[in-house]
Parts: sequence; structure tokens; C-alpha cells
Amino acid sequence: MDLLAQILVNGTLQGGLYAVMALGLALVWGVLNIVNLAHGAFIMLGGYASWYLYTYAHIDPFLGLPLTAAVMFGLGYGLQRGLLNLVIRAPMFNTLLITFGLEVVLTYLAQLVFSADFRTINPPYAGNSLAWGPVVLPLARLAAFGVAIVLTVGMWLFLLHTRLGRAIRATAQNLVAARLYGVEPRHLYAMTFGLGIALAGAAGTLYGTVSQINPYIGASLTAKSFAISIIGGLENPLGVIVGGLFLGIVESLTTLYIGQTFADVASFGILVLVLIVRPSGLLGKTT
Amino acid sequence: MSSRHSRLLAGLFAIAAASASAGAALAQEVVLGASVQLTGPVANTGRYYRDAYQLAIDKINAAGGVKIAGQSHKLALKLYDNQSDVNLSVRQYTQLVSQDKVNLLLGPFASNFALADSAVSEKYKVPMVQGGGASDQIFARKFKYIFGTLAPASNYFGSTVGMLKSLKPAPQSVALLYADDAFDVSVAEGTRPMLKQAGLNVVMDERYSTNATDFNSLLSQIKSKNADVVLVAGHETEILNFVRQAKSLAVAPKLYSFTVGVPSEDFRKALGKDAEYAFGMTAWLPTTALKDRWFGDAEKFAKEYKAKFGYDPDYHAASGAADVETLVQAMEDAGSADPQKVRDALAKVKFESLYGPIAFNAQGQIELPQMVIQVQGGAVAEIYGAKGFVKQPKYPMPAWDAR
Repeated sequence: MDLLAQILVNGTLQGGLYAVMALGLALVWGVLNIVNLAHGAFIMLGGYASWYLYTYAHIDPFLGLPLTAAVMFGLGYGLQRGLLNLVIRAPMFNTLLITFGLEVVLTYLAQLVFSADFRTINPPYAGNSLAWGPVVLPLARLAAFGVAIVLTVGMWLFLLHTRLGRAIRATAQNLVAARLYGVEPRHLYAMTFGLGIALAGAAGTLYGTVSQINPYIGASLTAKSFAISIIGGLENPLGVIVGGLFLGIVESLTTLYIGQTFADVASFGILVLVLIVRPSGLLGKTT
Repeated sequence: MSSRHSRLLAGLFAIAAASASAGAALAQEVVLGASVQLTGPVANTGRYYRDAYQLAIDKINAAGGVKIAGQSHKLALKLYDNQSDVNLSVRQYTQLVSQDKVNLLLGPFASNFALADSAVSEKYKVPMVQGGGASDQIFARKFKYIFGTLAPASNYFGSTVGMLKSLKPAPQSVALLYADDAFDVSVAEGTRPMLKQAGLNVVMDERYSTNATDFNSLLSQIKSKNADVVLVAGHETEILNFVRQAKSLAVAPKLYSFTVGVPSEDFRKALGKDAEYAFGMTAWLPTTALKDRWFGDAEKFAKEYKAKFGYDPDYHAASGAADVETLVQAMEDAGSADPQKVRDALAKVKFESLYGPIAFNAQGQIELPQMVIQVQGGAVAEIYGAKGFVKQPKYPMPAWDAR
């Protein structure tokens, strides 16, 4: 029983990390209709940014998180204005190609600049844990989970209640109507992409604190984020939290009862099931 | 019709001329071909082979090269980057033997690569000496052109299990975890009967997927089953996550040991003091006891390597350098660079190298004992070898909050 409780806690905490990883991908996908295959590569870059901040400037990863996010926002904004705007109205295949190309370029640039060595953001408290009865709560994961919840709920409130958030949603729903009301799509798209990349950067910071960073982590993180976005649905950020938690818990239980090698089978199996049964996600509209 | 004929003839002439000039070049230089992971997920181990091959070749060339039938020939290296992709590496080895016409082959890193690439050397009958694949599967197919200088995977934990029997307090239960690739499956298959023979109770025997990042569930099970000893066969990135997550879940068995990582500098650097107490194994340590014709001894090799590339070599690098030396020794024994003759000489080769005594069994694999090592005070300490304890192990491992 203790073991089951511990496994559920592990899955939940893992799920929080998953959610923050997928948040940016879902936002960009939902609003710009771009499946950003380079999303995982941006998570990797965010991880390196925080690693440098921590190792050379001794800035705690959680405190440095806004800084990393801000840098990544600038990168995302620029990339959207300079590169992705060129294909924003093109068929989806073109956007897939260009983001895939970006993924490859970023990965190999990262290897050139950072080398293939793996890095860990390892502040002294990273390995600490809290005991909650028989259940152990790893501190760094708990903090990452907290940040994930704050970011997701913050994102949700931002989209619902701010002027910019409403403009983003309006553009996603009906571009022509949004333009008639004075929304400037180029700026807005770049803001959205910048936000998505900032979230990826934040996720990279958290990922580097609990796991390890090397130039090649991107592709598998993109795949996971993709699955979570589909499972949760693109309609609202809370769907991503649900998708992330669901996946985290399912993977943990699969490892316990069936075997770790089946964890990916379970998560991508669920992806297929969701696509068949609820194509707009667990929290999506029923059509 | 006639013009097509003449074009065909011209083409044939061109090919004949090209192969003749290639033949002429070969008279001076012996070209060794290899495809190694210079980019991609295992590039940080792949670089050991690139650097070791180059260092050994430069050293041998500086000493006059390889002496075949009274004549000195320089060595050259033709190296491709397989981007950590097995399929690409097979294509590159095919290109090395069929188009580049290299004389002999050096290996890639990792068992799954060696397993696939050895099919190329077998098909084209060009011998490959590889120091990156330890899986017994590579040598179980009665191939004639593959030779391996890594100690057999099935025996990686052999010395560790030997040590377990003489530890006090004696460990009772063992958890065995392994990744689902050729090397690690071989390790697990070899370890199981040894554990049984040692009378240890195997409480967990779990396979996990290569590149797994989340070990929380497995660690929680280890804790709940109270395993005294945890043996993990996997890759460095996985071991790194394993140790970090063990700390964050406060899982501290009496002893844990890993097939990779512990001998490597970047592993210890990435973990910092959390790397302490981790056990591992190596078939090689840079000692003066290992004499070498070109480098003098293993310690000198390690110094030259570090001076040139800026990081410490581990057994992968030593094994890679030994592969070059083995090919050179075999060419000199055979008095020829002809693949068939070199192959026959390899089967009988016997010499002392910086890596250890080189000789192959009937399957083409080396037989080397593994030394048990442990991270003590930030450095690798030799703990247990064929003659018993060399240094006292730090055992049992203290709890994470008691360090």
C-alpha cells in the first residue's frame, strides 16, 4: 500500500513536469496552428541557459527561471517574426518541415557549442526530500510541480482575463473578425510564439534540475509534449495539466505492474485511444 | 550504337584508372576505416574511439609505421560520423570497404552497432577489430572477421558478485536492472546464474527501455523490497538520472554498482559528490604495469592522451588504442596487409599492450578480468580484483542525509 502511494506521488510529480513541458507546444499549436517540432530543442536550450546561470553566475535555477524565460521569449519572438511568419499561411506540411529543420539545426549547434557532455543543474538542495508518513516527496520535483501548476493556472487566467490573452484567443478562433477589431496578427503571433518558447525555457530549467541535459534530449521531449497536448486537448491550459498528470500516473503504474519497457507503449497507446474516442482531448469540446 | 559502346569503354577505362591509382596509393599507406559516433546521443563515449584511434596511429607513424615484409608503411585513418544511428553506420562501413577500399576496419562504439556492423565485415571478408562492443551476441554467430577487445558483457558483474561474498555484513538480496539493448541484456543474462550460485536472493529483475529518464517507480520498488545490493546495466545518461533520483527519493541500498559511468570523468563531474560510494568496474587502469611497445606503458599513454585531448581516457579509449595496435601487430605477423592473411594472424595474435595482454578466443573475443572500482573522495579507487581486495570498500553506503 505504501508502495502504491509512493508510485502515485511519483507519477503526479512527473505529470506536473510533463504539463509544463507541453504547455508551450499546446499554446503555439492552438493559436498559430504550428506543430512546433523544435519544441523539445527549446526546452534543451532553456536547460542550458539555466545551467550557465547556475554554474557561472551562481543564480539558483528557480530564481533564474524568469530570466531564462525572458531570454527564451526574445528568441521565440525573433524567430517567429523573422522565420516562421514566412510560412504562417502555408499548408501544415511546410510548418512541420521548417520546425523540423529548426530542431536539427538547434541540436547540432548545441553540440558544437556545449559538446555532447551531459550537464545537471545540481543545487545542494536538489536531492533533498520531505517525508510524509511512509511517502517520500523529493523537494526539487515538488518545487517543479508547484511551478508547473502556477504557470498553467497563470496561463489560463492570462488567456481569459487580459487584453492580450483575449486577443490571442480571438485570433485563434476567427482571424478575420479579430483583425476587424484591430488585432495586429504579426505582432500577436510573435508574442504567442515567444510565450510558447518562454514556457519551453522554463520547462528546460525544471528538467535540468531533476534530470540531465544534453543536446539530444529534444526529440523525445517533443514527442512526449505532443502526446500530452493531444490527450489534454488544445482548448485550454488546464487540459494540458490533466493530460500531463494522467500520463505521469499511467506511466508509473505501468512500470509497477507491467514493466518499465511498456511505459511508452502505454502512453502512446493512450494517445491513439484518445484520438479515436475524444479527438479534441479529454477536456476538449465533445463534437 | 557505336557511340554508346565507346562511352561504355571510356567509362571502364576511367574505373580501371581510378582503381589503379587507388592501388598505388595503398602501397605506401595502410588505411584503417571506422565509423564512430561523433554526434548524437552517445557522442560523448564515441569521442574516446576517435581520439584513441588518432593518437595510436600518430604514435605508430612517428615510430616509423607498420613494417610489412621489411618495408615501412604509414597508417592512415578514414573516419565517418555515424550520428549515433545504427543504420547509417552499416551504410558507412559498406562504403568504407566497397568504395573507399580501406585495408582493414576498426570498430564503432557500443554493442548494438558492432552487432550490425560486423555483418558488413563478414560479408566483404575484411577483418574488424572493435573495442566498443562487449555483448556476447556479437561473437555467438561464428563470424570469422570480427574481433573484440572489450571484456565479455556476460562477465561484467563477475568480479562484483565475487566481492559480494566477502563483504561484511553480508548482503542478502539483490535487485538487477538492465536496459533493453544487446549489451545490457547480455550483462543480465550472464549475471543471473552468478547471483544464484552466490546464494543471493534476487528480489527484482527488471528490464527498462533505453534512454529512460524516469526511474522513480523502479527506485520506489527497490526501497519497498529492501534490496541490499542494486546492480544496474545501462547507459551513462540513465545511470545519472538513476543516482539523482535515488538521492531525491532517499533510496540508499547497502551498495549499488553500474556497468558504465563510474570510470568516466564527465560522469563524476556531472554528479559531484553524489557520485561517492558508487561501484563500477573496469578492465583497465592506467598503471605502469601494463607495458606497451609504442607508448611505453599505460600510464604514459594516459598522460599523452590527456595532454592532447584535455580529458582523462577510460577503458574505452585504451581498448580503442589497443585495436589499432592489434591490427598493426597482426599485419606484421602476417607480413601482409591482405585482409585474409591479417584475419588469420589476428586469430593467433598474442602480445602485451597498454590495455593488457591481447589474444582472442575461438569466437574472436578477448578474455579480460574486470576490476571492481568505487568512487572514493572524488576519484576512482581500485577495490577488488582477481587476487581479492586491493583497497577497503566503503560499505555499506550511508543514507543520503548522513553524508
